This record gives sequence, structure tokens and C-alpha cells, in this order.
Amino acid sequence: MTFFTVVIRGLWRRPLRTGLTLAGISIGIAAVVALVGMSRGFEKGWQVGLKARGTDIVVTNRGGSLTPKPFDASVRDRIASLPHIAATCNLLVEVTSVEESDLMILSAREWGGFAWNNLELVSGRMPRDATEEAVVLGQTAAEVLKKKVGDPIQIETKQLTVVGIVKGGALVEDGSVVLSLPLLQGIIGAPNQINAIDIRVTPSTTEQQVKELTRQIEQLVPEVRAVTVSEHLSHNEGFRLVKAMSWGTSLLAILVGVLGVMNTMLMTVFERTHEICVLLAVGWTRGRIMRMILYESALLGLFGGVVGVAIGAIGVQVLSATPAIRGLLQPDLSIALLGLSVVIAVAVGISSGLYPAWRSSRLNPSVALQAG
Amino acid sequence: MTPPSASALLEAKALTREFDEGQVKALRGVDFSIKEGDFVAIVGPSGCGKSTLLQLLGALDRPTSGTLLYRGISLPDHPNPAAYRAREVGFIFQAFHLLPTFTAAENVQIPMFETDRSASERRERAFELLKLVGLEHRLDHFPSKLSGGERQRVAIARSLANEPSLLLADEPTGNLDSENAHSVLDLIIGLQQEQGRTMVLVTHDPTIAGRAGRTLRMIDGRIVSDDKR
Repeated sequence: MTFFTVVIRGLWRRPLRTGLTLAGISIGIAAVVALVGMSRGFEKGWQVGLKARGTDIVVTNRGGSLTPKPFDASVRDRIASLPHIAATCNLLVEVTSVEESDLMILSAREWGGFAWNNLELVSGRMPRDATEEAVVLGQTAAEVLKKKVGDPIQIETKQLTVVGIVKGGALVEDGSVVLSLPLLQGIIGAPNQINAIDIRVTPSTTEQQVKELTRQIEQLVPEVRAVTVSEHLSHNEGFRLVKAMSWGTSLLAILVGVLGVMNTMLMTVFERTHEICVLLAVGWTRGRIMRMILYESALLGLFGGVVGVAIGAIGVQVLSATPAIRGLLQPDLSIALLGLSVVIAVAVGISSGLYPAWRSSRLNPSVALQAG
Repeated sequence: MTPPSASALLEAKALTREFDEGQVKALRGVDFSIKEGDFVAIVGPSGCGKSTLLQLLGALDRPTSGTLLYRGISLPDHPNPAAYRAREVGFIFQAFHLLPTFTAAENVQIPMFETDRSASERRERAFELLKLVGLEHRLDHFPSKLSGGERQRVAIARSLANEPSLLLADEPTGNLDSENAHSVLDLIIGLQQEQGRTMVLVTHDPTIAGRAGRTLRMIDGRIVSDDKR
């Protein structure tokens, strides 16, 4: 028998309660994995989408939500001549409901702009010109909307035709309805309005020069924000909100886990007063008693963490396949996130065990043994 | 402070123990000296303070005032009372106090965690001790599957785990029928005498006390007689 056997035996004493506590921690950790995994996946999906389009800098309005507020398309003319800019492309991106789908990315791109170049036809054709009342659908968008080439599609008040299905090289691109910019501007009644300018820099531009360029753009047009692709999402209030909400909810779940383990460990100390007093009487040090209780609570955290990570990982895969979310994000379940979740669970276990451990070490063996 | 007697294992002077801010006086000034290898019985009616005295000898509790020395070292000021309990003292309780979720062999190993013994050495020693008390066939039995007599034998084996110099027994046969009480007592006394340990045994049974070399009689928190044979 090792000290570890003693610890395991302590947990095994009340299997139902240990099981329920484990379930509590697991659900908390599963929530962390699911929420943070989803929000990171969401963020990463957009970032990969921007990179797939070959975008280096994104110019948007200051403030705004998930999709930035529109601004006048003439902004592009004011910045196009700055050094190191190879190409620009005006965009109007909306996340809106399209027919049966509640969340669909509507990506209107300047006709002839580089943002069309990454789209690879799977079937059908591209729109003939900027005014043809046609859209192309990313593969996932086509599946979600149950559309094929030739089908009509209702965008706001206008009925358009699906003329092609495309691969975009990124989840966000595959989940988008792509159409020409003037067409969407006409449909929503916002001529000359865009909400993003994608900028591609010349191949030899250094990172430092890209940074300098973003500063120049902001100087020239103070009402806009110019950021590199990687900075774009961290500046976006919508993404920041999603991130804050996912971590906030996770923290609540963790707090519930802490209270659950603390309750279990306190109960265990109260119930095992006699046993702990016997251990003290036969010479166990108070430090060893504290270690026993702390190891028990840490193990609860570890087991709960591992089970929670598994539930969370399976959960997000199931969630991301639901029609409402499909195509919008690929959950980012990195080893770092899964590892961090287990570490959080163990930390939850240890921190919840501190007070019960301290209580157990303060017991007076003489009183309990006399009563027994 | 009076210097300890040369050969005394335990020495108490004017030992008192009060509870509830002095409202309850369990010990009212106890003096005695116990030599190495002695078998001392402490007798007296319920509530006379004999179990309290045993708790003080085992460093499970601290006196309110007075001196209590073990090999000349003050027990209340002992730098490491847990080490004293683990290495110097073996407890045998009336209610056995075995841990219900551990087998007989595991219960015997519990005190050995405070020594340098490896897991296999602990297992081996537990087997030897259970064999010594006649329970080698009950190694993997949980306390709930053992009779009262067997439980007390496991507790005796546990008390010897770390080869203590001092055995403290509190009514060790109090929860046993007369047949089991007899054999358990024979076992305890046999082990004490064979191995030359010091034993302090608390009892209210004069027959048991009669087998000790010395009897301290307590009444109302005081030692009223000290009979040596």
C-alpha cells in the first residue's frame, strides 16, 4: 500500500458523491473547452479566410460590431496611392439570415477585385459581370442552404440565381454567399457604402513597412482603422465580446466547480473526523493529513478535467455540425487549450481543497478518540 | 524543574488538566514515575481522569500545568509530537479505532508511513505482525468482516508497527466478551513481557489490574494509591 492508495481509498469511500463531484467539475471544464474552443475557432476561421484572400491589411470603420459599420467607398481612392500597396479591394460583409439559415456570411466584393481570385469553381460559373443578378456559394453554404447551380436564392428583398459553387480555401470563405459589391449595395439601398477594404502589399514589403503603412492610412483618413490581418480580429469589438463572454461564462462554470469540490472535501473532512484523528494518533503529521486531503481534491480536479476535456471536445464537434453554426466556424481545440483546461481543473481541485485540508489538520485527536 | 530520575521513562509532577476554562478538573495534580519495562495498570471509577492521563502520556493532548517528561524531555514542549506518537508510542484503544476502508494488513501499515520503510517492507512487516497476533489468514479482510477479538488483535499489531518503547492501552478488553478478553489480554501481556516494552494500561477491572506489576489507583483526578508487587 502506498500513500497514493490511501488517497484513492479516500475518494472511493463515497463513490456516488465522488462521481457527482466529478460530473460537476467535468461539466465546468467541458464548458471552458467548448466556449473558448468555439470563440477561438470563430476568430481563427475569419483570420484564415482573410489570409486565403491574400489580404495583408484590413481597413474598417472605428468601432462597430461583428461586422464593422459601413463607410464611404471613396476612402479607397484616398489611400490607394500610398507606397507598398499592390492592390485594394472594397468589400461589404454582412452576417445575416438567408432563407432557412439564421447565420450566413454575405460577402459582397468589388467586381474585378483580388478577393475573387482565391475562389475556385467546383461547379457552374462565376457571375458574368458586376450587374448580373447572380451569386456564387461556398461549398458549405450551398450544403447548408441546400442549393445547387441554377437555383433561385432570396437575398433580402431580391431574388438572385446561384450560378456557381466555389471552394475558397478557408472555412469562412466556404461558408459565404459571394456576390458583386454593386449588387448588394443596390439591394440594401446603400450605394457607395462599404465596410472593409482589403489591402495587399507588394511582395518585398517588410513587416515594419506594413506597420508604417497602417499608420499612414490612419493619418490620412482619421475616421478609419487600418490593421494587419492578425491584429484585425483582436481589435474587433464583436470578437472581443465573443471572447469576453466565453471566458466569463467559463469563469462562472469554474467557480461552480470550485464550490462543488470544496463542499465535497469539507463534507469528507467532517465525516472522516474520526479517521483523521486515528491517523494523527498513530503518528501521522498534520502535514501528511493536509497532503492527503489536497491530493484527493487535486485528483478530483484531474479526473474531472480529463473527462471534461473529452466531453467538451466531443460537444463542440457536435455543435459545430449543427445547421445554425455549420460553415461559420471550425472549433479550435488546440493541445494548449485542452492542456490548459486540465491544468485549470487541477488548480480548481487544489484551491478548493486548501480550506478543508487546513480544517482537517487542526483536529484534536484526543477529543474524537475519547468520544469514539 | 526537578531533574528526572535516572532510570525513569516517564515522569509526571503536579500534572493537571482542566477543561471548559477550569470548570472541569480532570487531573488535579498527579505525580508518578514509570521505569523502562514496567507494566503499570491505572484503575479507578469512570471519570476519575485515567483516560485523560493516558492521552497526555501519548501526546494526544497537553496538560494545563505541571511537568511531564519522556526520557527527560518535556512532552508538552516536544518539538515533534507526531514523531513521538509514531516512533515511541503504540496505542491500543477500547473501540479498536481501525480504519474501515482499509484491510487488516493495510491498517497495520498505516503508522509505518512515518518511517523510512519501503512499500514492500511495510507489507512484509504487517504480515509478520499479523502472524504474531494469529491473524495471518485475515490479511485482506476489512474490519467489518472481523470479529471483535480479531479487530483488537489487528489494533495490537498496528500498535507494534514501529517497534515503540511504550504501549498505551485504554480498556483494551472493554468491548470484548470474556473469552476474547482473556486471550487478547494474554496476548498483550505476553508481547509486553517478551519484548520488554513499557506498558501503561487503563482499566476498571481489578482482575486485569492484578496482572500488572504495579497499580496506580485514581479517584477524582488524583492518584490515591501506588501498589507494587
